[in-house]
Amino acid sequence: MTKTLLAIVVALGLGSAAAAQTPDDLFNPGALQRIELWLNSSDWAKLKAAFQENTYYPADVTWDGITVRNVGIRSRGLGSRSSTKPGLRVDFDRYASGQQFLGLKSFVLDNLTQDPTGVKETVAMRFLSRLGIPAPRETHARLYVNGDYAGLYGLVESVDKTMMGRVFGTIDDNVQNDGYLFEYNYVLGSAWRFGYEGANLAPYKARFDIKTNESHAESAIWGPIEELVRLVNNTPSSSFEATVGPHLDLGAFVRYIAAQNFIAQNDGFNGYDGMNNFYFYRLEDSPSHVFVAWDEDNAFLQPDYSITLRNDDNVLTRKTLELPVYQAQYFGVLSEAAGSASEWLRDEMQRQLDMINAAMLSDAFKPYSNEDHAAARESLLAFAPARISYVRCEVAKQAGATRPSGCQ
Amino acid sequence: MKRLLNMAIVIACVAAPAAAQDKKGLVWNDRPSIVFGEDVSLDIKGRLLMEWRTFNPEIGEDTFHLRTARLGAAGELTRHFDWEIEREIGEVEQEDGTGQIAFGEWKDVYLRWETFDAVRVIGGRFKMPFGLEQTTGVTELDFAYRALGSVALAPGRDRGVMIFGDLGRFSYEAGVFDDDGDNGESNEPQFVSDGDDLEDVGPSFAVRVTGDLLRLVPGIGRLRSANLGIAYTNSKIPEGLNSLRGESFWGRDFFDRVYVKGRRQRLGAQFEWTPGPASLKAEWLQSREQRNEQSNRDADLSDYIGTAWYVAGTWFVTGEDKDDNVNPRQPLFKGGPGAIELAARYERLGFASATTAGTSFTNPRADFLTPNSDTVFTAGVNWLTSRWTRVIVNAIHEDLEDPARSPLAGTTSFWSGLVRLNVVF
Repeated sequence: MTKTLLAIVVALGLGSAAAAQTPDDLFNPGALQRIELWLNSSDWAKLKAAFQENTYYPADVTWDGITVRNVGIRSRGLGSRSSTKPGLRVDFDRYASGQQFLGLKSFVLDNLTQDPTGVKETVAMRFLSRLGIPAPRETHARLYVNGDYAGLYGLVESVDKTMMGRVFGTIDDNVQNDGYLFEYNYVLGSAWRFGYEGANLAPYKARFDIKTNESHAESAIWGPIEELVRLVNNTPSSSFEATVGPHLDLGAFVRYIAAQNFIAQNDGFNGYDGMNNFYFYRLEDSPSHVFVAWDEDNAFLQPDYSITLRNDDNVLTRKTLELPVYQAQYFGVLSEAAGSASEWLRDEMQRQLDMINAAMLSDAFKPYSNEDHAAARESLLAFAPARISYVRCEVAKQAGATRPSGCQ
Repeated sequence: MKRLLNMAIVIACVAAPAAAQDKKGLVWNDRPSIVFGEDVSLDIKGRLLMEWRTFNPEIGEDTFHLRTARLGAAGELTRHFDWEIEREIGEVEQEDGTGQIAFGEWKDVYLRWETFDAVRVIGGRFKMPFGLEQTTGVTELDFAYRALGSVALAPGRDRGVMIFGDLGRFSYEAGVFDDDGDNGESNEPQFVSDGDDLEDVGPSFAVRVTGDLLRLVPGIGRLRSANLGIAYTNSKIPEGLNSLRGESFWGRDFFDRVYVKGRRQRLGAQFEWTPGPASLKAEWLQSREQRNEQSNRDADLSDYIGTAWYVAGTWFVTGEDKDDNVNPRQPLFKGGPGAIELAARYERLGFASATTAGTSFTNPRADFLTPNSDTVFTAGVNWLTSRWTRVIVNAIHEDLEDPARSPLAGTTSFWSGLVRLNVVF
């Protein structure tokens, strides 16, 4: 009841502007947003000085004339953490249980420090969404801190219960967001490729950070993951689909890894150092799991990124693609991705680059020069047509079909 | 350390027979004492407080707990001065993970000049004059633990100089102190640029006046002997997460520190009445801390306020008079039952902001802070088996206001119990 009242009070406090706005407006990919943060000047200095810590600081947030007071912000990221341009997580309910903004409990401000183009993450997520992969909504924002321009940021929807409700919808008035959501935790120096690590739950607990239902018993949270990994590793091909299928949506998995391969994501599920950058969701009242895209700013590595790169390294990928039906689906999704990209990818890259151009050039806190950005921009725009041709040629080659003209 | 403890025991044993002899040299005067001459002496003091505890629901506390172990010395230095030093003894974790008994923090370390009753002076490290229960020694308390407000709001010990004395029916204490007491220490140093110095809380000023004010009121019978007092402190607090905070009975935060800058003031009122074998005590304490330039936009916030009170009563069923130095009429080791006292205390500690308009937040920079409080009832039995030993049994019920900020999220009601053994010489 208290939470409901608070939500009503906050909604009333936001005024008529809030009533007209939705999360779709906030994450509108066609709009370069302006986000303002107001926090005590000593806190901003402390956050930047202690950027490796996850300490929360209180702040007010303003977007499109709407101000939400007393939210919590903290530094975030792994390799992208920065003292000059911190990546930020903005939690609306950090200091007031139930406080939301446009129905959101939080969002992420991606500092774009690892991508000189500034658009790889946002283009990749939109493309994955086009292919039906669960992915957060994203756009760009000019961030102002205490009235000063703090740089160009990616504005990213948090992968949380709210997003799970959006993605998985409602069944008989029951929003499908009460499942178990995990963020995959890349353990430095311990590359993992879905090999079985024993019946003890500790290794799985270390790799899968629980984000919902945290108070449940460990066996209820991580037991099904241990079971899935065990079944994947121990089940022969002949019974693989029947045995593993109930625990993992294999079709959705194949679509996810094929799409990720098309965008040449080198640090994803079949990444160069094992698995990385994804969320994992066990559906409500179900043993079945699905993958959710996250952090794709290493995408678009190179046009001739092999369409089968490292597919034999990962146990789950290898054993799934050993089955002819999923192997066919894999190459089918690659073809579908090439088709989808041919109508859209380069134009979208160009559109986003044009949208952020002025904000990027005036960003004095980015760790690369405007010349670096210009060079990366040209390289990215060249990626799309080259990748489409390469994938079409390679898929035809794999299928033994006639290769399109121009293939090498 | 063991040698020191052994030495203390040996002194106690050797001194005991000397008690009946002349009053020079090593004698037993309720404790081992070396008398050098008239008004020049050195007493060895020790305290050991151990307890066994139970919790419902469990909150992760140990069943056995060594509450306090202290060793000290006190004495007279002519008829004009007396002095005391006391230090905590505890287990210190070594690099290899093992524990080793070692000296901990200093407690009282002071020299006192007391030639005249009206004007006396004390200097060193001692308790600031605020809080009736806080300024009562841990082994003289009516309960195993002080009330929450006596720990959270009263400052405790600090380095300083204080003038005090008796003027007719009134007593006064007024002192200046280096910081703001052990309980008011800063948590987060002010965020400073390279080259700047860190700031600490203080200096502070404290004053207390007590007296038998009710003697002036006619027709109130024995209540005329009650003692009343008021106290005030004022100190400077540097910018940072440096406020006072709310801790539940077993030390879990129920109100985190908030950002403060400016002045910290405390106001206290106390009441004490000990008619015969019974006692009635009550206190009201309030802290008020400024939050200048501490909002999300560097503007001033409303004051941060901590408020506490308690009412406590005791009664010696065995008939001893309740005073500062209770001795069993029939000690256990001389065939008697010892002294048995019943005790009960009801108390509350809460924190909030001066502003209560709009939506409240737990954010340490919110103008309207979401209030939280802890209400505690303690019932107990004190069994004084001898002058030096006491067994305390307490049952404690806590009720927290905000279920989200309790030792177990979602749970507001807690029971606990303890059996404490005090050995003091």
